Amino acid sequence: MRRYDPRWFIVAGANLLLWWLVGLANNYLANSAVHLYVGGLFVIYAALRLDRKHGLIAIVLTGLLIDAAEPVPHGTSLLLLGLVHATLLYGRQRFPREGAVFGIVVALFANLFLVIALSFLLVGANPRPASAWLRIFADLLASQLFLLLITPWFLALQDRAMELVSIHPETGRRVSL
Amino acid sequence: MLPKRFDQARPFFTLGIILLVWVLLPLVLKTFTRATFFAIQAPLIVADSYVQDLQTFWSNRLHSKDELLKAGKDLSGLIAQYEFSVQQNKELEAEILRLENLLKLPSMPAFRFEPARVARRDFSGWWQRIIIRKGDNYGIPVGAPVVFAGGVVGRVIEVHHYTAVVDLLTSPTFRLAATVSGDNKPISYQGGLNTSFRSPRGTVEFVPLDILASKNSPRRLVTSGLGGVFPPGLAIGDITRLEPSTDGLFKSGEVALDERLGSLTEVTVLVPLNPEEL
Repeated sequence: MRRYDPRWFIVAGANLLLWWLVGLANNYLANSAVHLYVGGLFVIYAALRLDRKHGLIAIVLTGLLIDAAEPVPHGTSLLLLGLVHATLLYGRQRFPREGAVFGIVVALFANLFLVIALSFLLVGANPRPASAWLRIFADLLASQLFLLLITPWFLALQDRAMELVSIHPETGRRVSL
Repeated sequence: MLPKRFDQARPFFTLGIILLVWVLLPLVLKTFTRATFFAIQAPLIVADSYVQDLQTFWSNRLHSKDELLKAGKDLSGLIAQYEFSVQQNKELEAEILRLENLLKLPSMPAFRFEPARVARRDFSGWWQRIIIRKGDNYGIPVGAPVVFAGGVVGRVIEVHHYTAVVDLLTSPTFRLAATVSGDNKPISYQGGLNTSFRSPRGTVEFVPLDILASKNSPRRLVTSGLGGVFPPGLAIGDITRLEPSTDGLFKSGEVALDERLGSLTEVTVLVPLNPEEL
């Protein structure tokens, strides 16, 4: 009998959990006018550790989840996360992708790209774009610091979840504990 | 076997196909997908708000009887004050109705007040919005004005079954026709000045040249009631800076908004009794 492979579900579920936790943090930071954005982190595990198919499913689902909750044209996050995922897949054979440090570096760059892309798309609506960019820069700084702290935890959480279901993230083969 | 170059570019090729399918997908299906994916995470969005309510409930239960008696006494004083205000309000409403009939004026828009708890605040440099715990289930329509004790909060932009999304007064996408209190010339208000660790501010444009305002003598900005759903006279903020615009015909400036907008827990949605007013 064919065994059900939940790798995409684990990664999409972990992304949903992170999305909720960051939303909660933003809810409490609202009064300080600071906003955290961690879009770059949603792609890392799917692009560096998972196989192509399951990674892509997880990214598409995550993109649609984010698009449903954010006031951006529907499909924006799907496109941006998909683009980062495809870029990382393109070069992942050349990366030392098992290490957490490399994961942090990639998450920071991916997040930087996503924030800049989203800002170019959305900042035009602002009456004073220069002031908006200042705020975006401050938010980006806070987000990158936050990413630096949580990326090892988030990668370890997904690794642990894969261990719990005894599946190797890339090959999908059973792993004995 | 596929050439190596194609195999390397396969992620982009796959992404291209997915995006092509997405672009060609009918709008109905896209809307359905969005609603479905929002519904999946909606329980998570409101869950912490309910947990917080429960926390408040249990912490209130820890108060001693003496404290509750004292709070009850204070509350009864407040109720007496409010009862008097309600009586005065009724008399004023009757007077407005009498004058409307006498002068044959069109009647003011009527609203049903729907109080709602704030489930989530989402304030970024890109957008500023809150999610409230009432939606279609309480008949909240898209476009309904949202207010609080300090004045305007924003406008409902999305309605889901149990929740609604409110575009805040501080959001760059929020525009409104306003007037300076005591004046009737219309001014354009827009949100969007949200510097980190500072109180939110908005901008005003097309301010007549005869209106003066500064940080030391700010002018109250209120809704005009023109070309929108907001009833006239609701507080927006204080104009603290005005300078001549580039064309020299008007002035433009900044509005200091209520600091409480960042920590709202309860708001009131004004649901028009006549839905055609939206």
